[in-house]
Amino acid sequence: MIAKAVKATVAVMIGGVLLNAGSFDVQAEKDRQALVKYFMKKFSDPVKNRGQFFPYATEEDMKNIMPVKKVEDFRLGSYAFSKVGRSQYEEINEMPPYEDDIDAGEELYNGTKGIKECFPDPAIAGEYPKFDEKQGKVVTLSVAINDCLKAHGQKPWKLTKGKIADLEAFFAAKSKEAGKKVHITIPSKAAAEAYERGKKAYYAQRGYLKLSCANCHVQGSGNRVRREYLSPLLGATTHFPVYRLKWQGLGTLERRIKGCEKNQGENPHKPGSQWVSEILYFMAYMSNGLPVDGPDIRK
Amino acid sequence: MQTKKLFLAAAVAAGMVITASAGGNADLVKEGEKIFNTKKIGNCLACHAVNGKKIDNPGNLGPKLQGLSVWPEQALYDKIYNPYTTNPISAMPPFGLNGVLSDHQIKAVVAYLKTIK
Ligand code: HEC
Ligand code: HEC
Repeated sequence: MIAKAVKATVAVMIGGVLLNAGSFDVQAEKDRQALVKYFMKKFSDPVKNRGQFFPYATEEDMKNIMPVKKVEDFRLGSYAFSKVGRSQYEEINEMPPYEDDIDAGEELYNGTKGIKECFPDPAIAGEYPKFDEKQGKVVTLSVAINDCLKAHGQKPWKLTKGKIADLEAFFAAKSKEAGKKVHITIPSKAAAEAYERGKKAYYAQRGYLKLSCANCHVQGSGNRVRREYLSPLLGATTHFPVYRLKWQGLGTLERRIKGCEKNQGENPHKPGSQWVSEILYFMAYMSNGLPVDGPDIRK
Repeated sequence: MQTKKLFLAAAVAAGMVITASAGGNADLVKEGEKIFNTKKIGNCLACHAVNGKKIDNPGNLGPKLQGLSVWPEQALYDKIYNPYTTNPISAMPPFGLNGVLSDHQIKAVVAYLKTIK
């Protein structure tokens, strides 16, 4: 009887503590777990799940789509499940084309006024986008770098490629080396509202094509647009900046989003705008707990 | 003589009508096929393979199109104009409703779809 009462109190206390510590991310955490469940089920047994998740797949597709066993594997995007994509990916990664960019990023880290003061620990790629309570808004890593430059009397960099991507490549490499995981927090009500706006933007049908990001990267993931297998939302932000063969160089998340807004038939939002930062905040939260894996390569 | 001439004229006229309509339709089919396969216009191949036609790397977000020759033209028109009328959660864009394709362009695509066995 007493034991039972004690157990109940302990349970209530644990519940209470959890509620206090993380009460602003309750909804986000529910969303994340539901997404993980969806993708683990979808890719657990593609052949068995064909009717439900890959209704229009060809026989060739079914031969190519591998089961995904570990949630960590989703950091690989479409290479988590595409056999052909994966082997091409591994081939290119034997001689990673972004090594020089990491070195360039390290030089920028050591040689750019203010950067070391703003980011004393470079292994922070998994913590952005962050909700900045003082400014009352979401800042992505790219935006945080530019805020730092401005605070030290310097001209901001382009948010999509070039120096910013090199510096982020250095941050990502350091984070990966240190075994860091994606760790996005929602510390306040205002942060939770920003998360909700980002989520809404992700699921909204936009552009003249009336496609949502989710049409292609949730339901559509594992299916193809032309010959491209669509990557899952889960893991979508873990490995940036990315060296894309199409770009012949590195790009930030801001750069990638721009291209996908064009896929929706939409004029892209400005990099650094509230819309872009909040959609990235939502996307990164969905990858919480996955390893930081940047920089990486994509087609 | 008279009848022969008349007959000839009629035959020519009929022939012309037939060629004209066949030619007109063939042109329309061709136009529709181009819209179907061009990224900047219809870009239907992004999502659809087509039974019996050679398409360059079609996607599979939508079903492989087949048997459309037996669909009523109106049903095909409606599907392209606004797929939500028959499927409210369709992932296919509403090409007419959103003004991507004109009435004439949709009719051209329908003519092309009618050739799909
Ligand atoms: C018409 C389909 C389509 C829509 C809509 C779409 N995308 Fe994409 N997206 C693609 C394709 C194709 C690729 C390249 C293949 C891949 O990695 O998924 C891609 C890639 C990406 C990647 C890179 C993934 C990686 O592993 O590096 C991100 C991030 C992304 N999209 C985000 C978005 C966001 C955010 C939206 C909405 C604003 C969106 N996409 C809308 C088709 C789409
Ligand atoms: C972004 C993906 C996408 C694009 C682009 C697209 N479709 Fe579709 N289409 C679908 C999906 C998904 C379905 C199945 C759901 C439905 O019927 O609405 C479909 C269904 C259809 C069907 C019904 C097929 C059947 O057997 O029931 C026809 C016809 C069709 N599409 C024609 C077209 C044409 C013509 C175009 C270009 C003008 C086009 N589609 C562009 C995704 C797409």
